[in-house]
Amino acid sequence: MSSNGKIGKLRETFGSELLSIQERVPGKVYFEVAPRALAPVCQYLYRELGARFLITTGLDVREERGGFDVAHIFSLDKEQAFVVVTANVAADQPRVEAITPQVPAAAWAERELYDMFGVKAEGHPDPRRLVVSDDWPADLFPLRKDLKYGDWPPRREEAEAEYPFKSPPEGTSTVVIGPFYPVLEEPAQLRLFVDGERIVDCDYRGFYSHRGIEKLGDSMLTYNEIPFVAERICGICGFIHSTCYCETAEEAIGVTVPDRARYIRSIMLELERIHSHPLWLGIAGHILGFDTVLMQAWRIREPIMWLCEKITGNRKTYGMNLIGGVRRDLPKEIHPEILDVLKKIEEEWIAVINAVAGDGTLKARLCGVGVLPEEAAREFAVVGPTARGSNVDIDARVDHPYSAYAELPPKVITHSDCDNWARVIVRLEETVESIRLVRQGLAEMPDGPIMAEVDPNIPAGQWGLCAVEAPRGEAIHAVLTGGENRPARWRVRAPTYPNLQALPYMIKDETIADVPIILGSMDPCFSCTERVEVVSARSGETNVLTQQELLARSREATERLRSGGGRR
Amino acid sequence: MAIALNVVVSLFLLIGLAPLAEGLLRKVKARLHSRQGPPITQPYLDIAKLLMKEDLSPTDNWVWRIAPALALGSTMVLALLTPLGRAPALEGAGDIVVFIYFAALAAVAIILGAFASGNPYGSVGASREMMMLLSVEPVMAISLFVAAYKAHSMTFSGVMANHQFSISLAVAGATFLLALPAQVGKLPFDIAEAEQEIMEGPFIERSGPGLALFKWTLHARMLIFSALLVSVFVPWPYLVNPGLNLLATLGKILLVVVLVGVVDVVNPRLRIDQSMHWYSRVIVWGAVVALLFAIIGA
Repeated sequence: MSSNGKIGKLRETFGSELLSIQERVPGKVYFEVAPRALAPVCQYLYRELGARFLITTGLDVREERGGFDVAHIFSLDKEQAFVVVTANVAADQPRVEAITPQVPAAAWAERELYDMFGVKAEGHPDPRRLVVSDDWPADLFPLRKDLKYGDWPPRREEAEAEYPFKSPPEGTSTVVIGPFYPVLEEPAQLRLFVDGERIVDCDYRGFYSHRGIEKLGDSMLTYNEIPFVAERICGICGFIHSTCYCETAEEAIGVTVPDRARYIRSIMLELERIHSHPLWLGIAGHILGFDTVLMQAWRIREPIMWLCEKITGNRKTYGMNLIGGVRRDLPKEIHPEILDVLKKIEEEWIAVINAVAGDGTLKARLCGVGVLPEEAAREFAVVGPTARGSNVDIDARVDHPYSAYAELPPKVITHSDCDNWARVIVRLEETVESIRLVRQGLAEMPDGPIMAEVDPNIPAGQWGLCAVEAPRGEAIHAVLTGGENRPARWRVRAPTYPNLQALPYMIKDETIADVPIILGSMDPCFSCTERVEVVSARSGETNVLTQQELLARSREATERLRSGGGRR
Repeated sequence: MAIALNVVVSLFLLIGLAPLAEGLLRKVKARLHSRQGPPITQPYLDIAKLLMKEDLSPTDNWVWRIAPALALGSTMVLALLTPLGRAPALEGAGDIVVFIYFAALAAVAIILGAFASGNPYGSVGASREMMMLLSVEPVMAISLFVAAYKAHSMTFSGVMANHQFSISLAVAGATFLLALPAQVGKLPFDIAEAEQEIMEGPFIERSGPGLALFKWTLHARMLIFSALLVSVFVPWPYLVNPGLNLLATLGKILLVVVLVGVVDVVNPRLRIDQSMHWYSRVIVWGAVVALLFAIIGA
């Protein structure tokens, strides 16, 4: 295997710096290195070996062996391998050299590492807080084991310091989008620095609705309770997260899943893609004011939801996965109905593809807008259709086969235009490919059990690591087994995490009117209400409201209503 | 007495029935969306509901307060200056030039009201509205002047009396038709309101009666410009009986409304720069060509 070749090169180059190498499961290589070698090894992996950065995770091992573990996770896509580089840092000096200057895609991961574990990435170009709220105490790190679940600090009315937003460049105005805005999937704040209509730069503040699911997973839940929380990470790709967690835990524990269960997982994952892409197309149409697309795409999608309800008991594909297999079978009797629904959807979807591909006005809004060139896409390590629309040929189903994808390989669809249009086309065609995969899966599905016995004596200290290709890109889960029937660490990275980091690049030099659709082209979900403030730096006149002012105004308005003086 | 009757008929048809036309438009859109759609009387209920609600105001600015009344008031005057297969109800009060002035007045009221609200979205919407006005108004004006030039009359009755089919009139009618969706704020040109981008732009701070009057204004403009189009550019069949003539005109208006609805359904929204390019670089030349044809007698 050439992954052995590349890893051999890494061993040669760093020799004595590598403290240990483990490859318990083929294709999952765990290096432990001295802290000072962490950044050089990561740089070598990224620059010389062409590895793609996935995510960073910390680990509080002060009780077991002292200090904190820091693990940077990389993928060698073409070699079908994951490489994890771990270093142990002392508890009294929790700091490592930042890899972001060499590996730009690690920017958020290293900020999150500090927020959650207090391990500082030294030399990080943007060391502001990322995840924790403004009123979170500076010396409290939620994922350290000495903070018990539920021992949260009291809520504070006013933050100690306001979030240090970037100041606008000379000669620009600031347009603030969010935290609530109709086309953002979650509360997030985007500060656009604009010159007229043109966007010069922007700043981002998100994670307003961080739910602490990872903390819940490694302090409250048991192995088999986590799938039911995992599938609620996302409202659309629920099955993806539960599958990803289960496969990861199965790898860590050492469970072999029955073949039939693997096929059922793949089929359900593809059904999820078939309902997710029309959902996304509808929303993209809605952003452009093209509600016909919204209505028709969602009408076409609806039979899939009914089908999922019939299979799983839920319109959303919830409650199917457990460690060891799936809870419900796909009996022969339901196959004809699935095939009927697929046939209808395929016909209608091809009509949609033809209509969209021939629409001049759509093209005018999408072509050449939100361009993310191939090199930039690799630099930001974007995933899913966002990557494939930029001609980056990655797909976890092919690169890191899971479930039954070794037997059901999809055709990876890429596009070289690198713009909004390319991302639309990739998703349209992927849906057709998914329909084919479900058909093939149903035809080739073997008989047999759907659930494996799991030995309740689960050894501690074993890693599992998996990627699952969600409709928006790959989701990554990592599990380290622990005591008390629960993981010592459960790490999740959703596909929007890397994709959103490319947004500032994609909206640069575009107009304000294009921001919603560029965001939409990455497929986040949208809802919420909005707030936009404009400050004119040129005239020095400002009408940006700070959070406090806004809060004050909002309370004042409530008071006015309470005192009966609704009118002003 | 005849004038009074004409005034009542014009107001009833162009203002009173405007919400019904909007309801029809919504129904057409809904059917093309594979939806049931609301009953066609829904816009009346919406307006009645809004009229009964309190009017929340972000500012004490008097421009803000008078803008809705100014918009609907000027639109009512506009209705009386609009030909309806026959001469406008108040023919004596104004010709084509006066019509064009009053047509712009409602848009100006929307723009001033939005700027007065102090809402940044409102300002963005208002400036977009202004840009649309500046690029669409010339198209409409030139098209109407072509008709006036051909008929050697600046009054609508003169234009209609002397109507004769010609290339220049056909081209002018086509450009007027292409300007119609932008005139009445429908897709792909509902850029000033752009719900998903700037949340109804100029109307973001509006609520209650103020919003109701603006809504009514927009519904009425749809009917008024359709009536103008069919009266000036599509006068066939020439019916002598005034009753039948009015019915025929209403039928033609209905067709135009449905057409605008279909265009609205099959198009996404353009960006402001794209639509300005469309009107002030492409369509306006069509209107100019029509004028040149008229001058050389074609």
